[in-house]
Amino acid sequence: MTGIIYLLPSSIPFPLLFSFDPRISRLELPEVPSLPTDKVALDQFPTYEVFHQRKENAAYAYVGPVHAPEADVAFLFAKEQFSRRFPCTGMWVVPTSAIKVTEYGDDQQSVYDRLPLLPADELGTAAATGQESYDIFHLKKRGKAHAHVGQVQAASPEAALQAAKAAFGDQRPVVNVWVIRSADLLRSDDEDRDMWTTTPDKKYREAISYKVQDRIDRFKQEG
Amino acid sequence: MYGSASTHDIPAKATTGLENEDPILLAEFEARIARGEKIEPTDWMPQLYRKQLTRMIEQHAHSEIIGSLPEGTWITRAPGFRRKMAQMAKVQDEVGHAQLLYSAAETLGKTREQMLSDLVNGKSKYSNVFNYPTPTWADSNVISWLIDAGAIVNQMANAKGSYGPYCRALDRICAEEAFHLKYGHDAVVHMATGTPIQRKMMQEALNRWWPAIMTFFGPSDKMSTHTEILMRWKVKMATNDACRQQFLDMYVPKIWEIGLTLPDANLRKNEEGVWEFSEPDWEDFKRVINGDGPCNAERIAVRRAAEENGAWVRRAMQQPKAQYVRPLA
Ligand SMILES: [Fe+2]
Ligand SMILES: [Fe+2]
Ligand SMILES: [Fe+2]
Repeated sequence: MTGIIYLLPSSIPFPLLFSFDPRISRLELPEVPSLPTDKVALDQFPTYEVFHQRKENAAYAYVGPVHAPEADVAFLFAKEQFSRRFPCTGMWVVPTSAIKVTEYGDDQQSVYDRLPLLPADELGTAAATGQESYDIFHLKKRGKAHAHVGQVQAASPEAALQAAKAAFGDQRPVVNVWVIRSADLLRSDDEDRDMWTTTPDKKYREAISYKVQDRIDRFKQEG
Repeated sequence: MYGSASTHDIPAKATTGLENEDPILLAEFEARIARGEKIEPTDWMPQLYRKQLTRMIEQHAHSEIIGSLPEGTWITRAPGFRRKMAQMAKVQDEVGHAQLLYSAAETLGKTREQMLSDLVNGKSKYSNVFNYPTPTWADSNVISWLIDAGAIVNQMANAKGSYGPYCRALDRICAEEAFHLKYGHDAVVHMATGTPIQRKMMQEALNRWWPAIMTFFGPSDKMSTHTEILMRWKVKMATNDACRQQFLDMYVPKIWEIGLTLPDANLRKNEEGVWEFSEPDWEDFKRVINGDGPCNAERIAVRRAAEENGAWVRRAMQQPKAQYVRPLA
């Protein structure tokens, strides 16, 4: 790359990056980059996992993670990343660290089969106090996405998994289970539903809006 | 966009390190892949698998980010409101693809901080085609149509690979690419069938880009131990040559039908149905991918400026609990 020293308009004394693109030249970037720097830990924030609902009454399904400093921001990023292009009627986000994950089994099997039964006192089932709601998600096949199967009441994540086995253990296959304390999920409000309805206006983002065959045919006839 | 093969820096003679892996775990791992099951992040996996996938997904992510730069600078200059909106949507998609891919790569153990640092410090590669400039709107259209078309060939293949998080990301990405391809094709057809000046502009852009497009899938694979193992592990899903043939088969006829020509006198489909072409200049390719191309410095500088200019926002957001205290006196 050749450097050009611009004297105007900025009269910055170091050689500036030359670009044919006026938008880049105007940035007045130095031709020689500053010293390499490594990002510090958490510069990109912790992660949240995102679930979406594809249509009314469908089960919430896992769509992927986002990096965010807190749950509200995670929700905004998730909305941008995962509902911008596909139909969506609701979204949940949860800190990655708040998810209890079981082992992964083989396709066709159920991880519940390998779950050791814990003694009742350890589960705290005797004590009705301290019971909380947990949301349970199943992965049916490796490479696919976890889907919400329902809620259970329990005193700990371990107890919730036992309760999930009792409630949903007959479903199969179950390759993997995620257990999330319901209070840890930030959920979109039903009242705010209209926030999901922008997608249909933007037809120019759909492959189907580009019909070019007529133009090609006309060109061929004329040529 | 932009799959693995376009950077292809697997050291051909490097050892596979497989002799150091636990043979029982390795056999289970290979049996799982052979059964058609996906690998998930917490599964045991050989070091070589982890390393190659990390590199491949990371480079794919970088290519999405860097690839959005040449098209991004054309948003404000795109002819007409509708094309501005569509160009903007496409660029936004590409940046979103990078986010999905960085996350998939992260599940293999490399942090996002490290990947972004390696990109701006020039340690990681991205698809070499983005080291070339886009001097006209027609050049941007060539990227939208044909570079994305090449990327789709790669991505459709990789979506059938063995690593769960990468497959999940690619499923979403491929769905959006359908729009990019149609949008790009529409733009090119519009120019090629337009006024003589538009047509000339498109032909010249295509001439500029064709050599780079022919290198997009990388040189012929030498069947090294690596290629063989990576294909068995479903990390690499098709050879570079197979991808290039598929691309030529799908797109050369579409280029020719709108009266455009390609700057390679040897390009033709032979009796066996195989595309013949002049061997691309791989020495030049090597020189450019190693830093000496027309836009390498610019791409990195722009990315680095974006990182530096955004730092204060990230710093501010890192302390959401910090509270304003009124001065005392
Ligand atoms: Fe993309
Ligand atoms: Fe692209
Ligand atoms: Fe694309």
